This record gives sequence, structure tokens and C-alpha cells, in this order.
Amino acid sequence: MNLIIISALSGVVMMFSGLFVKNNRTISYIATALIIFLSLATMCELGAKSWFNIPQAEAMLRTSVYGKLIGVILTIATTFYFVLSGKDIERVGKHVADYYALMFFVLAGAGILLSFQNLLMLFLGVEILTIPLFILTGAQKQNLKSNEASLKYFLMGAFSTGIMLMGIVLIYGAMGSFDLSVIGKKAQFATPIHGANLMGLLLLLASMAFKVSAAPFHFWTPDVYDGAPTVFTSFMATIVKVAAVVAFIRLFEGSMEPFHTSKWQILVSILIACTLLVGNITAVFQQSVKRMLAYSSISQAGYMLFAVFAFNAFGKEGITIYGLSYSLATIGIFSVLSKMQDITFDGFNGLARQYPGIAFALTVFVLSLAGIPLTGGFLGKFYMISAGAASNSSYTWLFILAILCAAVSVYYYFRIIQAMYFKERVSDTPVFEVPVSKAFPILLIVVAALIILIGINPQILLQYLYF
Amino acid sequence: MYLLDALSTPAQYLPIAIQFAFGVLFVAGMIAISHFLGPKRNTSDKLDTFESGIEQIGNARQPMAIKYFLVAILFVLFDVEVIFFYPYALNFKSLGWEGFAAVCMFVTFFFAGFFYIYKKGALKWED
Amino acid sequence: MFLVLLIVIPLIAGIVAIASQSAAIAKIVGLVASLATLGVLLNVLCIPNGSEALAYSKLWIGSLGANFSLLLDGPGKIATLLTAVSFPIIFIASWNNGYKYGHQFWGLMLLAMAGLMGVFLANDMLLFYFFWELALIPTYFLCSIWGGEKRIQVSFKFFIYTFVGSVLMLIGIISLYGKTPDASFSWKSFTQVALTAKEQLFYFWLFFVAFAIKMPIFPLHTWQPDAYEQSPTTVTMVLSGIMVKMGLFAVIRWLFPIFPEASSQMAGIVITLSIIGVIYASLIAIRQDDIKRLIAYSSIAHIGIMAAALFTKNNMGYEGAVIQMFSHGINIIGLWIVVDYIEHQTGVRKMSELGGLAQKAPNLTILFIVLAFANVSLPLTNAFIGEFLMFNGIFQYSVCAAVVACLSIILGAVYTLGLAQKTFYGEPKSLAAIKSDAPLNVIVALSLIVVMIIAFGVYPKPLFNLIGLVTGAN
Repeated sequence: MNLIIISALSGVVMMFSGLFVKNNRTISYIATALIIFLSLATMCELGAKSWFNIPQAEAMLRTSVYGKLIGVILTIATTFYFVLSGKDIERVGKHVADYYALMFFVLAGAGILLSFQNLLMLFLGVEILTIPLFILTGAQKQNLKSNEASLKYFLMGAFSTGIMLMGIVLIYGAMGSFDLSVIGKKAQFATPIHGANLMGLLLLLASMAFKVSAAPFHFWTPDVYDGAPTVFTSFMATIVKVAAVVAFIRLFEGSMEPFHTSKWQILVSILIACTLLVGNITAVFQQSVKRMLAYSSISQAGYMLFAVFAFNAFGKEGITIYGLSYSLATIGIFSVLSKMQDITFDGFNGLARQYPGIAFALTVFVLSLAGIPLTGGFLGKFYMISAGAASNSSYTWLFILAILCAAVSVYYYFRIIQAMYFKERVSDTPVFEVPVSKAFPILLIVVAALIILIGINPQILLQYLYF
Repeated sequence: MYLLDALSTPAQYLPIAIQFAFGVLFVAGMIAISHFLGPKRNTSDKLDTFESGIEQIGNARQPMAIKYFLVAILFVLFDVEVIFFYPYALNFKSLGWEGFAAVCMFVTFFFAGFFYIYKKGALKWED
Repeated sequence: MFLVLLIVIPLIAGIVAIASQSAAIAKIVGLVASLATLGVLLNVLCIPNGSEALAYSKLWIGSLGANFSLLLDGPGKIATLLTAVSFPIIFIASWNNGYKYGHQFWGLMLLAMAGLMGVFLANDMLLFYFFWELALIPTYFLCSIWGGEKRIQVSFKFFIYTFVGSVLMLIGIISLYGKTPDASFSWKSFTQVALTAKEQLFYFWLFFVAFAIKMPIFPLHTWQPDAYEQSPTTVTMVLSGIMVKMGLFAVIRWLFPIFPEASSQMAGIVITLSIIGVIYASLIAIRQDDIKRLIAYSSIAHIGIMAAALFTKNNMGYEGAVIQMFSHGINIIGLWIVVDYIEHQTGVRKMSELGGLAQKAPNLTILFIVLAFANVSLPLTNAFIGEFLMFNGIFQYSVCAAVVACLSIILGAVYTLGLAQKTFYGEPKSLAAIKSDAPLNVIVALSLIVVMIIAFGVYPKPLFNLIGLVTGAN
């Protein structure tokens, strides 16, 4: 509850700070202070009671330890995001305070998605999560690509929300309740599965797959991620995506008992296979790093979906590790990318010689995304695939595909490393649009160290799951 | 809940399906029948854009002030929020002081929003 | 506790070296750290095999059942000794090679050393996989930054090859992990996995391909000559001297105990492939003009014999292969040191453009000739002991295979002596004239190697003691 209430209030505070504070830097400081407070608040909730005790809300929102931990991860990632990219947010447009406010509202939506107990709350959470994103995507009002992306995102998002509502309605029709536990209980005895229920589940699956941009519901992703201002792409590809995946798990975990059998895994395995193939193979051909990262985020979602395939403790542990290491790594890369002049691979040429600290941190991020051991990304992938193998070992083809896709991903991730370290800079134009501060490389290295720490000792994170 | 329990097998959805089919057929049939039976006299006046019976002037795609829409949407927003007072009014006594406090909070947020749009200049008509 | 030091010393030294920002400091840090590691290791080697002091374990990822557990056994002793001996020699030999961004170069070398030590010590599958990759990453950077013209493509090919291999191994690890009796990654639980014959075969190949790429064995070797040629020679020493031993070592430590039946069943195929590789590589080596490529192919040939001997699974072959791991490691490092010096002095690697180096550099020539003899495994050199045992082992397994494999000795003599003759003797060519004899550091490094070659060639008992097998118990 801390996450939902405090982030919503922080959003309101940010809105008003925009009215009274004219200096953009001060606004960023206020936002950073608020997000630090928010992450402390979510941490306090971990293993203790919430500050807000609202028994009436139990039927609607029920936070598990797992949801709380993910909440902590999301807020920590957002903290790093604000600190690393604050200056870039200020450069997007005039309404800096409003951007921050919108992001706090997104976090409130994520909070609802982590703890919903009722399908109506799911709908509400998804709406609160996505509507601010439509605005953020179109934040560069003068940029046609940004406008186009925003409109595209809005239309597709509205469409998928419609599908989700239709699914909820059908499930309500078949089960007579919006409550997940009631639905779960009823579904255990309803064999054969009710036609309307089945249809509803499929529609929900499709709309959630849309939200996490799993193939074949991914078509909006590259254009939207490419068109949105780079800083906000970073936010969308990480925090929002992780929240959506967790909501995906929560939605289907308890309530979809009849589906849990082999049929469900067939469907999800096809979804995962498509997502991995589309994401990885298309990313290979990209010239723009931003677009490459958009496709890579599709493929990363494919790995996270293994938790939806498996529904076991492994999968949950995996999502915590994966969520944090993926978010941090992607936020790190985007924070550099949004400061750069040239966002193709050539823009990175010779970066290592001018900025060794930044280059080192980027290397760690890239290695983590590619899933090389010693980084959190490796353990994340390892956990996800182990989860799949533990739940049903007859899907060997899927696991082999997943691991081979990881090998393919090395190809396009390593192009960044090759450009930074092994190629010389030809043109005289500076790497960055604006001079980077002295603290920036140090912060990046701190984030990189955190990723390595998770990769070496994930226990520091996982122990909280078993309080 | 009785109703829903009764409708728990696909077969019982048959009436709905029939109604669907009937609806579609009826609409399609009506359009088709009027298309075939109706007399057709095409004159240039008829093919013109309908503009309240007046002859059309100029291009329809003219820029107009966005402010109108902004004010309209804000009106709808606040109007909908006001609707929440009706259920409160009906249960005014039974909800007691706690309910009063909740509504006060609601009104506070409400005013905060109003203050925000006012300060942002959304209600300023003249530039 | 000492075992942890073996990994931690180079690791910390590597980080210090990179942070120092100065090549001069990094070099000294590197030499001191590698000597310190050697000192610690020599201390450890005195402990008899199987003693408690040679194992270390600490809980790592509890929920996965992974431990940070290390163990030093017979082959591990040989492999760690090779690593610890080679790095100081490599550092001494390339002391004067002024590399651009030197601190990074030396730092990455030390990190690679830490990874190698970890591979040879790890007693937990997940830990092993970690170090397996950790050894790869620094090498990738070393090759790509300081290599030759085609370095980026070639080292990327090398990386992709090995990465695909290790990824296949990862599939195997994950599936086997699911079948372990106590859901743990320890060596013991992996060896206790109950598998049907068919499953064993399937997983055997998943692991074997990873190791075979690293060694490399015949059809999977294509990355190797390119990588050796394009890497800076100092890195090639690590690659060919130590890194290829990772594959052989992993076969002994992991493959055989986990898949005892499958590895015996598949031994025929593996030995055939290895011996095809031996002959194939030797024949190609004869036709090479580039010294680096010649030595690269000769390395494939030697490794092939070692792999074949291992898979015979008798004590002779096993002991021979382990001994040869060490001998081949230091011998080939010696050869690379000579090549490195020639390349730096003359700027030429083609034998057709070289000649008569002996006139200006007599000391270098003498040392090189000893190395060349060791490369053709002449008696009284260390390589003879290993090769003799290995051929004995192969002979026990199959006479036919032994006969074909023995051809490699003749072919080896042809290309090695040809190399010696064409570069060091004959008329000096004006194109690539060497100015002076090798400097002190090269001579010191080579002399150390030559001393070891002769010492272990005459008295190999210490090495056998390290392995700790009772010979003749077959």
C-alpha cells in the first residue's frame, strides 16, 4: 500500500511544484528526494506492516511479500533512473515537473498491478500505468516522430485495453465474480472448462501479451520506443515492462487452474518462442542502437515470460533477479544514449578512449543483457530457464531455442563493445550533446557494481522473499 | 447471482446467439431492402455535403481554437466528479463523521485539481 | 584457504593494475602477483592429494544449492602449476613489448589468469561455468584491442564459437541440475545423477562439444589458427599454452565422472576425430609459410593426441596426457616467445622472407633448437615422457590408431625442423635482418623453460607424484 499511496501523492506534489518552482534543476532534486523517500517507504513495508492499514481494501488489493519485493525493485530502479537521467528529462520539453508527476503516477499504477486481487483493479492498474505513458511518448511536441509514436501507442493501447475488458467481462459471465481467489476456487471444479471462461482467458492472455510486447503482439513496440524521447523509452522498456510481467504472473497464477495443464504451456511456449525469435533476429539487423534496444527489450520479455510458463518458485526468484538486473542495465545504457549525438552504433566509436569509466560501465551492462556469467543478467536467464525445465522438462526444444537466442543476442550486444573499444573515432564531433558531469561515470560504475553484486551473490536479494 | 448460475453452460447462451443473429440480419436486411426498393434520383444538390440546407462555402478543414475542447473536457471531468455527491447525499446520515471526513478529502483533491488547472492557465481564454 | 588465494591474488592484482593507469606499475604488479601466486601454489602442492586442506567450501547461492567450493586434485595440480609457472615467464618475456594502454593489457592478463585458476579449481558446476566464461571475456578484449589487422572479426569468431559451446554446456547443466538427487551443483551430486543410456549420450555431446571447441578437436578447430595468428603473441601464449588445457582438464574433471558409460561408448568416435585432426593439422602445418600459423597447427596436432590418449581411458594414456598438458604448455609458450621476438625485431612472420638469424643471435638459436627438439618430443626432453605414455595408451586401445597417430611424430619433425632450418640457418635475407641477439629478459624466460624441459625430461618423478596415480596398477 505504501507504494501506491505515496507515489500517487508524490505525483500530486510534483504537479504543484511545477507551478511554484521555476528552476528545472530544483524540480529534479525534489523528484529525486521523493523517489528516495518512496523507495525507503517500500523497503520499510518489506517484512513489516504497511503504514496505511485499510482493511476494507483487502478484497481489492492484497500485497504479498513477492509483490512488495518487486515494488522495492521498481522504486530502486526508478531512483537510479532519476539520478542518471534527470538532466535528460529536463531537456525534453518545458513541463519538467509534469513529466516527473506522470512517472510517479505510472509507479502508482505499477503498485496496483503488483497487488490486485480483483479484475477491476487489474483494469484500473493497467489504465493508470499506460495513460501517462501515452503523454510521455508524445512529450516532444515539435517532433513528428514523437507525435506519431504517441498516437500509435494510444490507438493500440486503447484497442488492447478493450480486448482486456472483453476478457474480464466474459470471465465474469462464466464465473460470477471479479475476485481472483473466487475465480480460482470455482475454476478448480469447473471441468470441462466453460466456453466463456476459456474465451475470456484467451483474450486476457492476448491483452497482457500486448502490454509486455510479446510477439505476435509486439508490432507497436519498435515504433513507439523509437519515436518516444530516449529518456522515456528507458522508463517504458524497464520499469513498466517488469511491472506488466509481474501482473501477468499474478493474473494467471491462482485463478487459471483449469488452464494450468499442458494446454496452457503449449500456448505460452509458442508465445515465448515467437517473442525470442522475432526480438533477437530483428535486432541483429538494426543500425540504430535505440531501435536495437527496442527489439532487445522484446526478446528480454520473452525470457521473463518463462515465469508465466512455469508458475513456480524458481520463476518468481528469477523475475526478481531478472527484473532488477535488466532494468538497471537498460536504464544505464539509455542514460548514456540519451546524451549522445549519434545514436547509431558508429556513435559509440572510440568512446573507451575518451571516457573509460563510462565505457567500462556500459560493457558491464551489455554483458549483463547478453547473459554472460558474473552479471545479474546471467543468473536471471539461468533462473528463468531452470524454472521452465523444473516445471516441465519435456519442452527441451524451447530451452535450447532460448539459450541459442542468447547466443544470437551476443552478436548485436557486442557491437556496442566493439565500437567502443576496438574502433577509432573518425569524425571530430563530440560524443555527447551536452558535457557530462564528473559524477556521471561514477554513478554508472556504481550501477554496474550493483549488477555484478547481484550476479555474484543473488542471495542479498532473494533472502527477502522468504521472510 | 441466480441468473448467472442458471447461465452456466454454453447451450444456455443459445437465445443470446439467436438474438445476435437476428440483430445482424435485421440491420443488414433493412439496409439492403431500402437500397433496392428506394427510388433513386441523383441531383447535384443531393450529392453535395449537407450543411443545414445552406449552400456550402469554402473548406471545412479550417483551424479553430483548441481552447474550446480543453474547457469542454475539463467541464466533463469535473461534472463527473460532482456525480459522486449524489450517493453521499443519500447515505449522509448512515456514513457519519467518518464519511464526512472522506468526502472532505475528496473535495480537497477536487480543489487541488481545480487549482492546478487554474494555475496552469487552462481556463484563460485570451492569450 | 590457500586455494582461494590462488584466485584472489591475480583478481585483485588485475583490478589494481587497471586502476593504476600506468603501464610501468601494472607490469610490476603483474609480475609480483604472479610470482606470489606461484609461491602460494608451491606451498599447496606439498600437501598430498585427497587431503582436507585441498578443499574449500562455502555456501554461495543457498536457494539454488550452489556452493563456492574448490578442490585441487592430481590433474588440477598439474594445470594450476602450469598456469602459475607460465604467467611469470610470459610477463618476463614480454616485459619490453610496449603496448598501448599497457595498464589495461596487463590487468586483463591477470584477470584471465584468475579465471583460469578458477576453472582448474572449481568443484561446483555453476562456479565452474562462471570461471569458464570469466577466462574467456578478458581474452576476447585482449585479442580485439591489441591484435592484428583482422582482429575484430577473428576474435569475434573465436568468441562466438566458444560462447555457443558454453551455451550448449549450459543447457546440459540446467537439465542435469534438475535430475540431481539433492538439487545441488556440487561435483558429487552431478556424478550421482541417474541417467538412462540414451540420456547420457545426449548430455555427453552437449558437454563434449563445449570442451572440444576449446581444445580444439578436428571439425571444430577453425577458429584457432585465425585467433592465434591475429592475437598479440603474448595473448597467444596464454591461449595456446594454458587456455586450450581448459578443455582437456574439463574432460578429466567433469565429463568422465558424470558420463562414465557414454564416454567409453563414444571413445571410438572421439579418438578417430582426434587422430584425423592430428594428421590433418600436421599436413597443413608443413605447407605453412607464416610461423604463427605453423605453430598454431602444430598445437592442434599435439592437442589431438592428448585428447585421443585421454579417451582411451587407461592409466598410461591418462597419465601421459596430464603430463603432456604441462609439457606442451611450457614448450609452446617458449616457441611463441621466440616468434614474438622475431616478429618484433624484423616485422616479418613469413619463413620465406626470413633466414640466417643464427649468425646474429646465437643464444636465441641454441634455446630455440632445444625447444624445437621438445616440440618433436625427442628423448630427454619433457615432451618425450608424455608422448611415450600417450602412444602406449593408444596402442593398448587400438594398434591401428597408434600406428596412424605415430605418423604425427614424423610429420612433426618435418615441420618443426623445417621451421628451424628456414628461419635460423642459411643465408641472411636483407629484407628482414635481425639486429642483435635477444635481450636479457627473453633469454631469462627461455632459459627457465629450457631448464624445465630438460629437468622434467630427465627426472619426471615430481610430476608423477603430483598426479598421484600409482603407475602400473592397470
